[in-house]
Amino acid sequence: MRWAFVGSSLLAGLGLFLYVWLWLTVPAGDPREAAEEQKDAASSAIHRGLNPQWRTAARKLPLTEIALGVVLVLAAGLIAAAGIGIDVTSWIVPVLVVIAGALLGWSQLDAIQRSRWNVKAGGRTPISVLRIVGGVALAVIGVVLLTLGERNAGDVISALAPMLAVVIGGALVLAPWWLRLVRELGAERAARVREAERADIAAHLHDSVLQTLALIQMRSRDSEAVARLARAQERELRMWLFSDRQQAAGTLSAAVDEVTTEIEDRFAAHIDTVVVGDVDLAGNWAESGRALLGALRQAVGNALEHGAPPVTVYVEVTADAVDAFVRDRGPGFILDDVPTDRLGVRESIIGRVERRGGSVKIRSLPAPDTGTEVALHLPLITED
Amino acid sequence: MNTPGPVNTATIRVVIVDDHRMFRSGVRAELTADIDVVAEAGTVEEAIAAIREHQPDVVLLDVHLPGGDGAGGVDVLRGCAGLLETVRFLALSVSDAAEDVVAVVRAGARGYVTKAISGTDLSDAVRRVAAGDAVFSPRLAGFVLDAFAAGVEVATTDDELDRLSAREREVMRLIARGFTYREAASELFISIKTIETHVSAVLRKLQLSSRHELTRWAAARRLL
Repeated sequence: MRWAFVGSSLLAGLGLFLYVWLWLTVPAGDPREAAEEQKDAASSAIHRGLNPQWRTAARKLPLTEIALGVVLVLAAGLIAAAGIGIDVTSWIVPVLVVIAGALLGWSQLDAIQRSRWNVKAGGRTPISVLRIVGGVALAVIGVVLLTLGERNAGDVISALAPMLAVVIGGALVLAPWWLRLVRELGAERAARVREAERADIAAHLHDSVLQTLALIQMRSRDSEAVARLARAQERELRMWLFSDRQQAAGTLSAAVDEVTTEIEDRFAAHIDTVVVGDVDLAGNWAESGRALLGALRQAVGNALEHGAPPVTVYVEVTADAVDAFVRDRGPGFILDDVPTDRLGVRESIIGRVERRGGSVKIRSLPAPDTGTEVALHLPLITED
Repeated sequence: MNTPGPVNTATIRVVIVDDHRMFRSGVRAELTADIDVVAEAGTVEEAIAAIREHQPDVVLLDVHLPGGDGAGGVDVLRGCAGLLETVRFLALSVSDAAEDVVAVVRAGARGYVTKAISGTDLSDAVRRVAAGDAVFSPRLAGFVLDAFAAGVEVATTDDELDRLSAREREVMRLIARGFTYREAASELFISIKTIETHVSAVLRKLQLSSRHELTRWAAARRLL
């Protein structure tokens, strides 16, 4: 594309102006893509503030190519001018200086435009300021050299003074307008963030809740499936809503939740789970925790299978032990009545916990209360 | 919580505050005959107006409500600050989040139950709250044990606001384990009345304590 302009600039230099004008007005890259990126930046900004990945993407302008193009254009222009017979040498240096200054300044403009989404207060690093100042200085020197010709310095200063006044006056008049523009930009950015957030929520609700509701309607005759779907969806929605306070993975409370959730799904029933305190399932607790969770899984499964709801699970972590209670409202049972070949209670619950130095108490609550409570006590073993 | 509260021959007048009409009518249908629903409200403003007008015995208060300053049930409790002596509030929520639960209790609610509660249990809870007692779900008991850092020093006198006594901690632990007040009473060989006293004392501590740990615990869950 640029080479086409380079070619056309040979024709009376028209292409040069066209190229520069287009470069200024047409933003680089695909506008739709840019909008997408902007949206992404907005939505991710909700979650983790400003994102650094933007900086790297911003510098994709092929500077060397442009420089080469400009040099070629200049060379072509010079050759053409010399051919026509104009005295090139007297103004070639000033023009070059002006162009260099303008390039410096405009390349900066381009960079600022991109980095504007990047860092709010940024875009004004020392280097960028240097580039602007340098660009302006070069341009001014170039213009002065160009207009100076054979006249002396005094004339120039007297000519520059009113010009400076005009520039300052213009800046004063335009300042409020510029400020409003900046403020509007900020408001628009905030609106975009809100919009992205809304879209995020809508998308989530569509993917999860609406899908589940559709499934429930389809299977409305199968009450068990409906209950399971509803429970799974509820859990998922809770996780999403309260995701910032999820327990850290690898802790006992998270593992207990996992176990009860799994059993809730298997039995399509509700379990009231309360965990007080917490401990990392690492080091000495890795083994003990596994034993406790295995026993807990078995006990809760038994409560749902043989007992009656509501089933309550209470786990309390103290400095050197974990106590877990599984309570149901069933008719209860006596361990001695359970056939010896049934391993559910003896092996999976009692054996497991006792091998880790813990103890298990199973009791049926005395009348008029009903229900069975399995109490697991597991101290932290330090000797192994 | 299937123990009937103290004998209360008069019907209990209740206002249901919840932004879902379906849920309100569901609760209305489930409550037993001795509980009379005098009004319903769906927003913070409606709730405050209805409570001021009807002066009910108990308000069933959803934690999340539209209107007000955006704090839902807490706003209703603030709006009814002068009535807390005569009107009792029972918080009702789908949320298990600690900040929701503890925020309404600290604003003056006398109990907290989840919406999954059965009709009879809810009626019992209403009766209990109407009689001036506190209603703790297992989860609320768990929060209390968590907040008043289990296992540390225990209170030696009853007026200490910042710690639980050994007995209070035992009662809380039993409630967390799913025991009803009556079951807890027979477990500890004390009367139900004593259990109720302990639970009310814990409620008071939860509402009034400025305990450093409680504040820190609450801050970690972004409440207060």
